[in-house]
Amino acid sequence: MKLREWIDKIKPNFVEGGKFPWLKSTFEAFETFAFTPKDTTTRGSHIRDAADMKRTMITVVIALLPALFFGMWNVGHQYALTTGEVMGFWAKFWFGFIRMLPLIVVSYVVGLAIEFMFAQIRGHEVNEGYLVTGIIIPMIVPISTPLWQLAIAVAFAVVIGKEVFGGTGMNFMNPALIARAFLFFSYPTHMSGDAVWISAKHFGDALTGATPLGEAMTSTAASGSEMIASMKYSALEMFLGTVPGSIGETSTVAILIGACILLMSGIASWRIMLSVVLGGGCMGLLFNAIGANAYMQLPFYYHFIMGGFAFGTVFMATDPVTSAQTNCGKWIYGFLIGAMAVLIRVLNPAYPEGMMLAILLMNCFAPLIDHCVVASNISYRKKRAQAQLKK
Amino acid sequence: MFETIKIKKGVDIPLAGHAKKERTEERAVADFAVKPTDFIGVVPKLLVAEGDAVKAGSPLFYDKNNESARFTAPVSGTVKAIVRGAKRAIQAVVVASDGKYESLPFEKGSAEDFTRQQIIDTMVASGLWTMVRQRPFGTIANVADTPKAIFVSCFDSAPLAADYDFALQGREAFFTSGVALLAKLSGGKLHLSCRKGQKLAQGKFPQNVEVHFFEGPHPAGNVGTQIAAIDPINKGEVVWVMTPEAVSNLGRLFSTGEYRPERCIAFAGPKAANPRYYHTIMGASVESMCKEQQIDASTTRLISGNVLSGTKIATDGYLGAFDSLLSAIPEGDYYDFMGWIAPGFRKFSLQRTFCSAFTAFCGHRKSDSEDCEKDSRYNMDTNFHGGPRPLVLTGNFEKVFPFKIYPLQLIKAAVIGDIDLMENLGIYEVEPEDFALCEFMDPSKTEIQTIIREALETIRKEAM
Repeated sequence: MKLREWIDKIKPNFVEGGKFPWLKSTFEAFETFAFTPKDTTTRGSHIRDAADMKRTMITVVIALLPALFFGMWNVGHQYALTTGEVMGFWAKFWFGFIRMLPLIVVSYVVGLAIEFMFAQIRGHEVNEGYLVTGIIIPMIVPISTPLWQLAIAVAFAVVIGKEVFGGTGMNFMNPALIARAFLFFSYPTHMSGDAVWISAKHFGDALTGATPLGEAMTSTAASGSEMIASMKYSALEMFLGTVPGSIGETSTVAILIGACILLMSGIASWRIMLSVVLGGGCMGLLFNAIGANAYMQLPFYYHFIMGGFAFGTVFMATDPVTSAQTNCGKWIYGFLIGAMAVLIRVLNPAYPEGMMLAILLMNCFAPLIDHCVVASNISYRKKRAQAQLKK
Repeated sequence: MFETIKIKKGVDIPLAGHAKKERTEERAVADFAVKPTDFIGVVPKLLVAEGDAVKAGSPLFYDKNNESARFTAPVSGTVKAIVRGAKRAIQAVVVASDGKYESLPFEKGSAEDFTRQQIIDTMVASGLWTMVRQRPFGTIANVADTPKAIFVSCFDSAPLAADYDFALQGREAFFTSGVALLAKLSGGKLHLSCRKGQKLAQGKFPQNVEVHFFEGPHPAGNVGTQIAAIDPINKGEVVWVMTPEAVSNLGRLFSTGEYRPERCIAFAGPKAANPRYYHTIMGASVESMCKEQQIDASTTRLISGNVLSGTKIATDGYLGAFDSLLSAIPEGDYYDFMGWIAPGFRKFSLQRTFCSAFTAFCGHRKSDSEDCEKDSRYNMDTNFHGGPRPLVLTGNFEKVFPFKIYPLQLIKAAVIGDIDLMENLGIYEVEPEDFALCEFMDPSKTEIQTIIREALETIRKEAM
């Protein structure tokens, strides 16, 4: 194979003592991207599962694609709706693609550059974790996010959210959500309100499109049913995703396709996905039962199709590193995320979206949950030993 | 007494090349080796020199730390070589067979004729004692201990493993009397773990012998899994384990007064030309068998034991002391173009990210896939399929780890060397082989078995 020969030829330049030893990790990253290495086992298990971290992470990226592609089309669709311009399917997709591409490029270039640097300093191979983070970040910010803000947020998330703890696998908070939170709290005017969700800069921010969540929060309706009637979008539209919002999170259908891929491949935890939905549903039903205001009376399933609930459930709560790591812990962790997200949405006057904060909060508590679960295993073992002694 | 235990977690890896139920009496083997490296923590002290004449049962060396661990010649002949490695550490003592299989005379009789101490003494004298391993730590058992129980796993669920019913055919009586002898050594019960319908389970055993039937995929046949399911080890407790082959040899020793450590091994794997069984003696040189199986040394990984936790040996090497299986699989030193996205019809993975997961269901479903179409099995090789990474995925080890232990947490405790935490999390209940499937499936390619062994050794040395 020609490519292989070429790689073998230039490889000596990048090892210790070669011309560019400071590019070793970078070279390795590209080499292993082209070819899975020929290393063989020496001890322990002589055969290994064909899946590695690259395959795992790429599968997650593939699972994100339906939501990404739908989001691109939706950017164009929302633009057409607000401006009244007549656009075909491909025209809408192209409109969104052109606007989405710079966000993706900036996210990957900034994030991967930092990853490569840290890998080189540590003498490690470049970890594939950022392949997923790098695509999630542009999907959870408004389409109108300025590129410089995105670049700063990405740098902050990768360095402070991940690398200071030792890189992928050692971080305790989801880096993509750290980027989102960083933007949210640093540049609130760019991140919320009604003006940011539709890409129409050349109209001078004259166009607004409230997200369903924004509508729900500011609604002055007297009852839940009145609120539904006053909303601009039907439940079906929210489910399909033809509503304003962050690029990746509007379409519950596209996200469900991704969920199927993740669950079928066995990469994401079904326990977390199910328990988040259960948690959100229970809290929603509880509010329905209380019914003190219109938002509380909103049918509980609206929470699943509004805002980032579905996206967070499928792609961010299930992050294996920052979620609870024990199976029992995953149930508790997921349930609390779902419940918290709905709680924040309904009772908090400042932020329309509760999912991001709920996941970040539970990221912080995941080690504690695990600690308790493991402690019960330890006490089981001690009790067993004592029972044996008594015999 | 005859309870059935279901193991739900685990997986049978559909590796091609099962050994056919045909047996060759292997007479061509000239050399037999006893390798101190097959045993944990043995510091050998030589008792013979090159050229000495020996009989089966003649001592070759003993363990400095445990003098009752006497290693004896498996056959009669002369000491051909004492192989030394780095720092002159003894790697193997090779005995050239004279073809007569003469044994030193040992006391014979049935279990009732002997006291516990007499049985142990004869076992020590013959060298058979080295076949009794203790848990925790996997070292040769200490004669001064009284174990809370003894475990014998009568089936092996690992890929391509030998079928002990077939391997011990004709030696069932030896096995049964061996069980009776071994039962006398236990401070409590002797647990025999079998598959339903196994012939080995049908002998008449003493009162303190319990037979358990196990269902389910690998690692159901690992003795560690069985201990955890029957009577888990607590801190401070010791249990002993023995392989069925060794139990049968124990029976033979006392029935005939001769030491003859027989071994009927399966030669299996995708690289074996005609996978089948060979009837030989412990420590046999594998050279003649490899020749018959047309093993090409440069492209084949030969493993004494199973592919998950066996030891790599050369094609002119020697069978491991505890192994009843030789696995021959292709070496995997090739590059794989765009392996991260290639469809992978012929690649086996527990993660369903390859096309093979949707085309070869058969391999996943059948636990004993012998009657399964060959296409559904895989010629797995030694390729790493990736590079080492930090542990990222969580919750996946639990799918193949049938213990009440948190595998990831225990591995991490072992990595940081926190002995208290390891004790709390159950390190005494496991051996590296119990983590073999975790190691196999880990996309981060962590060498988990090495981590666990090193952790166990640290604790063992600390206690010494």
